[in-house]
Amino acid sequence: MPTPAELVGRVVRFVGDVLGASALRFEIGTTLVVLGILLVLLQLIARPVSRWVTTDVGGLAGIGRAMAVAAEAGTDAVVSLGTAGIARSTDAFGRLQTLSALPLLGHVARAAARSGVPLRVLTNDPLAGVAAAAALDAAHERTATLERLGRSRIVMVGEGRAAAAGLVMTTRARPAAAVAAGSLREEATLHLEGLRGGAGALTAATAEAVQAPTAILTAGGALIGPELFQATADLRADVNERTMVMAANRILVVAVLAVVAGSALVLAGVMAAEDLLLGIGGR
Amino acid sequence: MRRPTIPALVIVVGVLLLADLLVVNDSLGELAGVVIDAAILVAAGAALAAVASLALRRSGDLWRRRGDPIGAVLVLAGMAAVLVAGLRPGADGASDPAVQWLVSALLVPLGATLFGLLFVTTLGAARRSLELRSREATLLVAAALVVLVLLLPVSGAVGAWLAGGAQWLLEVPIGAVFRGVLLGVAILASVFAARTLLGIGAADD
Repeated sequence: MPTPAELVGRVVRFVGDVLGASALRFEIGTTLVVLGILLVLLQLIARPVSRWVTTDVGGLAGIGRAMAVAAEAGTDAVVSLGTAGIARSTDAFGRLQTLSALPLLGHVARAAARSGVPLRVLTNDPLAGVAAAAALDAAHERTATLERLGRSRIVMVGEGRAAAAGLVMTTRARPAAAVAAGSLREEATLHLEGLRGGAGALTAATAEAVQAPTAILTAGGALIGPELFQATADLRADVNERTMVMAANRILVVAVLAVVAGSALVLAGVMAAEDLLLGIGGR
Repeated sequence: MRRPTIPALVIVVGVLLLADLLVVNDSLGELAGVVIDAAILVAAGAALAAVASLALRRSGDLWRRRGDPIGAVLVLAGMAAVLVAGLRPGADGASDPAVQWLVSALLVPLGATLFGLLFVTTLGAARRSLELRSREATLLVAAALVVLVLLLPVSGAVGAWLAGGAQWLLEVPIGAVFRGVLLGVAILASVFAARTLLGIGAADD
């Protein structure tokens, strides 16, 4: 039986052999650049809340109010998960947009569950439908409103992007609020106009750069390009969190201004650097 | 509390594929190939399971007389039609003429009819946005009008100047904004994908 030292020695030898039989695929500089980019991405990944954003992107902070209006009017709310889907999509970018719409669906579903508003989720993809059902379950479970779950439903609108647009344009229901989040391409105008025609308020979110004008023209609140992915990190249940970030940002701005003004005074010879740091007469 | 198994699996697979990208090693390459094949199989299985789930759900709706019965019948009939056309004995699957007919004679004309409405709905959206006095929409419509004027089919020196202006607009300001949006989308899509795989939830979770 080998001793622990021998075991460690064998492992080190094995790793050495593997490394000896390997070669770098790229130049050393390229490899270091790739690893550096990954480190920056890891830093972004590890920070789930974007620190600097205080604006209400896409009007998502108003979802609670929209649900209150819907509850009062006795109508429902609609969330469309875009038209790329998960299983039916031919590109990863479209699938990723559908996945990024699920946290938004969860946010809206929790607000709807608390207000007792039925939610209609539109999708043209069976896998996205299953994921949406799970998101609705989780929202009602978290808000302890499982008895209201049966009033919400997932609507499978049919295959193709045009089918989804056709359904929203011809439906007679008039929801108090509608959120369309996910990939919207050539059918975007039809889809959003169909939702906008009946809904009291519409938020459109898509990362398709060429559809940015459509989102601006048709929706009251628009999440354009990277904002769709950013919104997930900026969803806040409590408005106080936003206020705290805003206050902290202002303090930082004042601090930066003080440093700039002080530096200018030091460079102009009005005061010494020590006086700036310690206060006049502080030495 | 989240289970650490999935993030751990994701990290192991991610490091393996990254190592395969950066390092040339036969064993590593074979292992990465096995992982990629497994991912493809899992995705295909998930898609099949989802379709089966949809059929079961719609059948259940019909059986229990709940929801939209016409929609349920149409979904089930559509699935059955395509399955029969593509899987009957002697059929060529997705490239079978019967499947192709279903697509080209039903789906494509329906889609084309809807897309014929794009021009009208775009104008309607622009008009309503202007009525609401939205700043972004006003700017957008103004820019669209400028581009429209620049693209007018005018001949002579004026036409050449207009065409040059349109080309400059496309290449410099519009191109710059477009590239910026695409870069931002690429970075945040990568970040979001990693967060999803590692189980890092939304800020309000």
